[in-house]
Amino acid sequence: MRTLSILGLLVAALLVSAVAGILVGAVAIEPGDVLAALLGSNDVNGTIIRELRLPRVLGAALVGGSLATAGALLQGLLRNPLADPFVTGTSAGATLAAVLAIVLGLAAPLVPLASFAGALVTVTLVWRLARLGGGTTVLTVLLAGVVLTSFAGAVVTFLLVSSDRLALQLRAVLGWLQGGVSVISWPELGVAAVIVAVGLGFALVLAHRVDAYAFGEDTAATLGVDPDRTTTAVLGATALLSGAAVALAGLVGFVGLVVPHALRFLIGATHRRLVPASFLAGAAALVLADLGSRTLIAPAELPVGAITGLIGAPFFLALLMRSRRIVV
Amino acid sequence: MRHRSLVVSLLAVLLLTLASCGGAVSVSPSPSVAASPFPATLVDFQNRSVTVPARPERLVSIGPSITAFLFALGAGPRVVGVDDFSDEPAEAATREHVGGIKVNFEKVVALKPDLVFSVKFSDGTIEKLQSASLNVLVVDPQSVSDVAKTATLLGKAVGADGETLARGIQQRVDIIKTKIATTTSRPRVYHEIDASDPAKIFTVGPGSYINDLIEIAGGANVAARASSAYPQLSAEEILRSDPEIIVLAADAYSSKPADVVARPGWSIIAAVKGNRIFTIDPNLINRPGPRVGEAAEAYAKLVHPELFR
Repeated sequence: MRTLSILGLLVAALLVSAVAGILVGAVAIEPGDVLAALLGSNDVNGTIIRELRLPRVLGAALVGGSLATAGALLQGLLRNPLADPFVTGTSAGATLAAVLAIVLGLAAPLVPLASFAGALVTVTLVWRLARLGGGTTVLTVLLAGVVLTSFAGAVVTFLLVSSDRLALQLRAVLGWLQGGVSVISWPELGVAAVIVAVGLGFALVLAHRVDAYAFGEDTAATLGVDPDRTTTAVLGATALLSGAAVALAGLVGFVGLVVPHALRFLIGATHRRLVPASFLAGAAALVLADLGSRTLIAPAELPVGAITGLIGAPFFLALLMRSRRIVV
Repeated sequence: MRHRSLVVSLLAVLLLTLASCGGAVSVSPSPSVAASPFPATLVDFQNRSVTVPARPERLVSIGPSITAFLFALGAGPRVVGVDDFSDEPAEAATREHVGGIKVNFEKVVALKPDLVFSVKFSDGTIEKLQSASLNVLVVDPQSVSDVAKTATLLGKAVGADGETLARGIQQRVDIIKTKIATTTSRPRVYHEIDASDPAKIFTVGPGSYINDLIEIAGGANVAARASSAYPQLSAEEILRSDPEIIVLAADAYSSKPADVVARPGWSIIAAVKGNRIFTIDPNLINRPGPRVGEAAEAYAKLVHPELFR
């Protein structure tokens, strides 16, 4: 009952932040005109609302929801409260793969697929590294993340700098890396929505198996959960979700870490509840963060990653200091 | 990575500033008039008083528009070094290169110039050149009205007839102005500088050279009331301002007309509907130099093609 009311509250929060996100923008549009625009008015306001603001808000919701859900899955799988796609380097891997796809001149719809593949490779790598020497420790996961993130960052930098000479069209990449969810077209949104829907579906189906993991793989096995197949499926879902998020918005940090963690205090650590709640709360959080990114220093605009970093990093440090699982 | 894109944006702005210069109008240089005008005491663009003791024979030019002016003044043979961006006239590029965004001080000193011309630098480059006992004149034209001033100042500095060059330049601009004065139509113009961040696109505002060109060409810059010379506009603001003409830079790094058409929502803009998206040679319009008349005419042909048949 309590879970249901919390989920209801989260839905309401998402709706309220989405309405705010559509009402506020670079140019002032009266609420009445916004409503008319949503109903299909045929003027410049209609185009601004339907082609610019609505995809932006929906994109932010998809990105935030995906990152938070992926974070919840990773935290459960690694039995580690400090994991998320950003911290583990999964986002960086997805970014690198997407940049490579653009450099190689692959068609636009293939970019999200590439970023999914990049995410899958990195998240698997982190999983393997984290299991070296037995149990997963906070330290190995974080170290693996740091290493993978710097490596992917270095390769991206190399590609960007060297391609200036090769006159490849990488300006677009720069825009995307820093652009957050600012400009998203409906076709991009459609592709991402399909990927996220699949990832989220997997996440919901797998949630109870992740719960079994809380007691360790051996216990999970005695509970009838096949550890290898489950791990593969969960890693796949994580990669789908973070790959789609990166393809839409580049690197956005800490949403995947903070949101599931905060929710655990509210509704407990059961993933059957945590997964849907994380998606809703992550979506609302990023829509609000995006709203902040365009209003805090208007008319200038911050990348949404700056906002999530500003709020997320201190939270992360606090968690790190409280964590008793650090083994040095 | 965010950090990197910031660095790149900064670089782009730097490049823009530095590249803001250049070109050659063929006004025949008349040999120095009157009795020796040297020693000459000049006031440069930083309001510093600079004394040129004798006719300078070895010139180094840091700034493409300065180089273009020196060649237009007939002082080309005396130019021994130029910055990496100086490519107008073509002969200028054959001179010794002394660096681009970062000036190579050793090279400048090794060229033993008796006068160095430079655009403004905020990183101490000018001071460093001076501390190497070089005579430095800061010349940094930023607007159309700076162009005549630059011609006169550089003429005095090298002992050439800058006044005639300035008048020739002014005449070409005036011809455009006269033509434009025959119409009251002022189409709305949106000039794109850089759309790397599609949410906040760099355009030109008041105080920029291109804004002057748009005005001379009989256009109404949609960002004419912005608060800076290179403001950033959001897509929402550009849609709302509904430009009738969109102008892009014709280079490898800029968006192409087809990219602009494909941007979400842009299909309702008048310029997109009317298929009036043009590209223009960035070197021609970025550098406040002797080719200002040519630049204004090229721009006017885009804005008022009916007047330039």
